Amino acid sequence: MVGSPHSLLRDVGFDVQAGEILGIVGESGSGKTMASLTVIGLLPGAIELRAGSVMLEGRELVSEAMTVERSSSDISMIFQQPRSALNPTMRAGRQVARVLEVNQGLGRAEAMDNAIEMLQHVGISGADRVARAYPHQLSGGMSQRVMVAMALACKPRLLIADEPTTALDVTIQAQIFDLMRSLVAEIGCGVLFITHDLAAVAEMCDRVVVMYGGQVMETARIDDLLDHPEHPYTQYLLKSTEKEIDHRVVDVGVNFALTGCRFSHRCPHAHEACNEFPSLYSVGEGHASACVLNKEGRIAAP
Amino acid sequence: MSATVPDRSPEFVATEFDGPAEQSRGKRMLGLARRKPLLVMGVTLLVLFAGLAVIGPFFVRDPLSTDVTNTFVAPSGAHWFGTDLFGRDVFARSVHAARLDLAIGVTIALIAMFVGTIIGVVSGFFGGAIDELLMRFTDVVLAFPGFVLALIIVAALEETIINVILAVSVAFVPYFIRLTRAEVLKERELEYVDGARLAGNRSWRVAFRHVLPNSLAPSIVGATLVTGYAVLTVAGLAFLSVGIQPPTAEWGVMVGEGAKDVITGEWWTSLFPGAMIVVAVMAFHFIGDEFAGETTS
Amino acid sequence: MRRYLAKRLGISLLTILGIVVVVFFIVRVVPGDAASLRAGPYATEERIEQIADQYGLNDPIPEQFTDYISGFVRGDLGVSIRTNQPVRTELLDRLPASLELATYSILLAILIGVPLGILAAARRGTWIDNIARVLAVVGSSMALFWLGLLLIFFFAFRLGWFPGPVGRLAVGTEPPTSITGFYTVDGVLSGNLSVTWEAFRYLALPVFTLGFVLAAPILKMVRAAVIESLESDYVRTAKAVGVSGTTILFVDGFRNALIPVVTTIGIVLGFMLGGNIIVEFLFSWPGVGKYAFDAISTRDLESLQGFVVMVGVLYVILNVVIDIAYALIDPRIRLGKAVAT
Repeated sequence: MVGSPHSLLRDVGFDVQAGEILGIVGESGSGKTMASLTVIGLLPGAIELRAGSVMLEGRELVSEAMTVERSSSDISMIFQQPRSALNPTMRAGRQVARVLEVNQGLGRAEAMDNAIEMLQHVGISGADRVARAYPHQLSGGMSQRVMVAMALACKPRLLIADEPTTALDVTIQAQIFDLMRSLVAEIGCGVLFITHDLAAVAEMCDRVVVMYGGQVMETARIDDLLDHPEHPYTQYLLKSTEKEIDHRVVDVGVNFALTGCRFSHRCPHAHEACNEFPSLYSVGEGHASACVLNKEGRIAAP
Repeated sequence: MSATVPDRSPEFVATEFDGPAEQSRGKRMLGLARRKPLLVMGVTLLVLFAGLAVIGPFFVRDPLSTDVTNTFVAPSGAHWFGTDLFGRDVFARSVHAARLDLAIGVTIALIAMFVGTIIGVVSGFFGGAIDELLMRFTDVVLAFPGFVLALIIVAALEETIINVILAVSVAFVPYFIRLTRAEVLKERELEYVDGARLAGNRSWRVAFRHVLPNSLAPSIVGATLVTGYAVLTVAGLAFLSVGIQPPTAEWGVMVGEGAKDVITGEWWTSLFPGAMIVVAVMAFHFIGDEFAGETTS
Repeated sequence: MRRYLAKRLGISLLTILGIVVVVFFIVRVVPGDAASLRAGPYATEERIEQIADQYGLNDPIPEQFTDYISGFVRGDLGVSIRTNQPVRTELLDRLPASLELATYSILLAILIGVPLGILAAARRGTWIDNIARVLAVVGSSMALFWLGLLLIFFFAFRLGWFPGPVGRLAVGTEPPTSITGFYTVDGVLSGNLSVTWEAFRYLALPVFTLGFVLAAPILKMVRAAVIESLESDYVRTAKAVGVSGTTILFVDGFRNALIPVVTTIGIVLGFMLGGNIIVEFLFSWPGVGKYAFDAISTRDLESLQGFVVMVGVLYVILNVVIDIAYALIDPRIRLGKAVAT
C-alpha cells in the first residue's frame, strides 16, 4: 500500500505447468487475488510492485519500471462477477471480437467471424444471436462463457480464473468447470484457479497453494493436501469448514506489521520462534509448508 | 510447548499497526489542512463571513446615509470599496448586506429542509397513494426552474423579505423531499424499524422518532449547498428589483443599482458586492462538497 | 420502449395540466386588487372597474378558470394589459432570440465541460484535475449577473473587444431576412455575412456568461461519471484484454458515463429557462426572458402567466426529449431482458 511501509504480499511464489491447474486457496484478504493481479499486471493504482518476477516460458515479463509487459496471448484472466465485468453498452460479440482486433490485429469483419466461432466453441448455442445481445440480456452462466471466450480467444499460455463461479448456481458451476477443463486440455495452457471454495479446488485442481495474510502457507498436490495437511492453518481450514471457507467471516485483522508468521496470532502452536519469517520447508515430494514446526519434518494433525 | 506468547488481542494489534499513536493537536490539524485544503478554505471563509455578518455592522458606517458631496469616490483609504451614486459607503453596505444575505440564506435552507424532510419521510415511509400524490406535486413544482418559481410567487404576493424567503424556500423543498425520501426508502428496510414497531410504537412514532433522525445525514449536507444557492437566488431576484429593493443594502440590490455605473467606469459599486456573493457561495460549496465526498481523492 | 415513452408522455401531460392550474392560482390569488394594480396609481374608480370587467376579474374564480383553460387548450394565452397584444404572439416573436442565445450557450458549456471533465478524470489527482475542480466550484458559485457585468466591464468597456449590452445587433443594423429566427444562421442563409459576424459579436458576451456558469455542473458530472466508470469491473476487463488507454477512456469510460451526463445537461437546460431572465435583462436581449422581466415590473400578470406556462411546457418537453435520449444511449433501457440463459 502506498504510504505504508508494510508489504501486502511477502515472499509469494508459485509455478504452473502447461496443462496444469494450480489452485490458490484462502480466506478473503489472504492476498490470493492480489497475487494474481500482480502476475497479470493489473494492480490497482494505490498498490505498487516493489520486487518480484514473472517468468513465462523462460521469459521475464517484469520490466525495469516494475510493470508487467504481457499480451493476451501470454496471460489472460476471467473475473468473478461476469455480468458486471462486461461493458453494458457494447454487444457481447463485439467485446469478444475486440480482443482479437487488439491482440491479433484482425479487421472488424474477420474478428467478428472468429468471435462467433469462439462463442460456439465455449458451448453457446445460437451464437450469432448471443453475439448481438447486450450483457444485461444474458444470464450469469452465459456471461461467464462469454468471458471465457474473451480470455481464451488468443490462446494464452496462462489463464487466471479469479473465483469464476462464485456468483453462479451450482449447476452452472459444474458446466463452467467442464468447459474450462476441456479448453485447457485443448489449448494446453496453465491455469491459476483462485477460490475460497475447497470443493471446487478438490474437483478442478492438480496442485494447490494455500495463502494467508499475504504469505504462502503450504503448497502440495491436491490429494496430499487433503490427506495430510502439514501447516496449522491448512489443518484449521480443513477442519473448520469442511467444504467451503466461510468468506463472510473476515479475519479479525491481519497484522501486516508482523515480521514473523502472520498466522501466529491465531495459531494454537504459536511460540517465540514464530517471530521469524518462516521459509517453505519441504515435507514430502512436491509438498512444502511454511511453518517453523515443519523444519524437523512432519507434524501430525491434532 | 509452553512459552511466552505475546499478547495478540485485536486492540493491541490495531494500535501497533497504526504507528505512533500520539500526535500533537497542531500537527494533526496541519495534516488535515494538507489533505483537505478546500474544506479548510471553506470553513475559514465561512467563519470570516459569519464574523463579518455578526459583528461587522457595529464597526462600519451607516449603510443608508447619503453624502452627495462624495459620490463615486473610487476605492481609497477612507472608503475601502469606494462610494456609490448617493455617496454611500460601499463597504459599509456590503457588510450589512452580508448579514442580511447570510441570514436569509440560512433561513431558507432551514425552512426548506424542515418542510422537505417531513414530507420526504411521510412519502417514503408510508408509500402507496400518499407517496404517489406527493411525488406528482413535487414533479409539478420541479417543472419550473427554481428561479422562475420564486419569481412568480414573489411577484404575485407583496414584495416583502418574508415572502422572498417563503418563495425561495418553496423552490428548494422538492430537493429535500427527494433526498430524504431516498434515504427513508433504504432505512425502512432495516431491522430496527421492525423492532420499533414490535415494541408497540404506532407508525407515526416509528416514522418520526426513529427513521427520521437516521435519514437526516444527506439533508444536512444538502443544506449547506442549498444555503449557497439560496443566497444566489435571492440576490438574483434582488438584482431584478424583485423582492428586496433599493435602498436596502443587499448584495443583489447593490449589483443591480451599480450595473449602470459599470458602463461609465465606476466598477466598484457593483463588482465588490458581486464578488462577495461569489466568495460566500464558494465557501458553502467547498464545505458541502467535502461532506458529499467530492473533494477527497 | 414504446410503453416507456407512452408512460412518460402521459405523466408529462398531467404535469402540464398541473402547471396551468398552479400558475393560474398563484397569479389570481393576489392580495390587493389585481385590477387596481394593473390600472396603475393614477387611475380613477371607474377605470379600475372597467379594467376589472374587461379582463373578467370580477367573475367568480371558477368561471375565470374555465375561461383560461378553454383558452389555453386553443392555444390562447390571453392578452397583455400593457401592450394589448395577444401574449402568445408576443412570446413566439421573442422565442427565437432566446433560443439562439440558449443554443450557443449550451454548446459552449458542453465544449468546455465535457473535454475538461474527461481530462480531469483521466488525470485524476494531478494539477489538471485540481484546476478543473476549482473551476467547477467557481462556476457554480458565480452569480450570472455578476459575471455578465464583469465581462461587460472588461471586454466591452475597458478593452473594447466586444460591443456593449444593447441587444442582438447594433442600434442601426437591419436584421437579416427571417428564416430560422437565428440571426447568425439567417445571415448565412441570405448571403448577408456581415450581419452574421455582427450577430456573433453581440452574442459573445452573453453566451460566454451563460456558457461558463453552465459548464460547471457539466464538468463536475462528467468527471465524476467517468471516474466511476473507470473504476468499474468492465474497464478492468478491457485492461486485461489489452485495450489501449485512450480507447478505454472514450469507448468504455465515457460511453457508460453518458447517462448521468445527459441528466445533467437536462438540468442545466432547465436552469437556463430561468437564468435567461437575468442574462437577457443585463444584455438587453429581446427574448422571452426580458419579456418576463418587463411583465413583472409592470405587474402585467397576464403576460407573466403566459410566460410561466410556456416555461413549464418547454420544461416538460425537454424532459421527454431527455428520456428519449436515455433510451437511445442505454441498451438496458431500450431493450428488454433475456436473450439467452
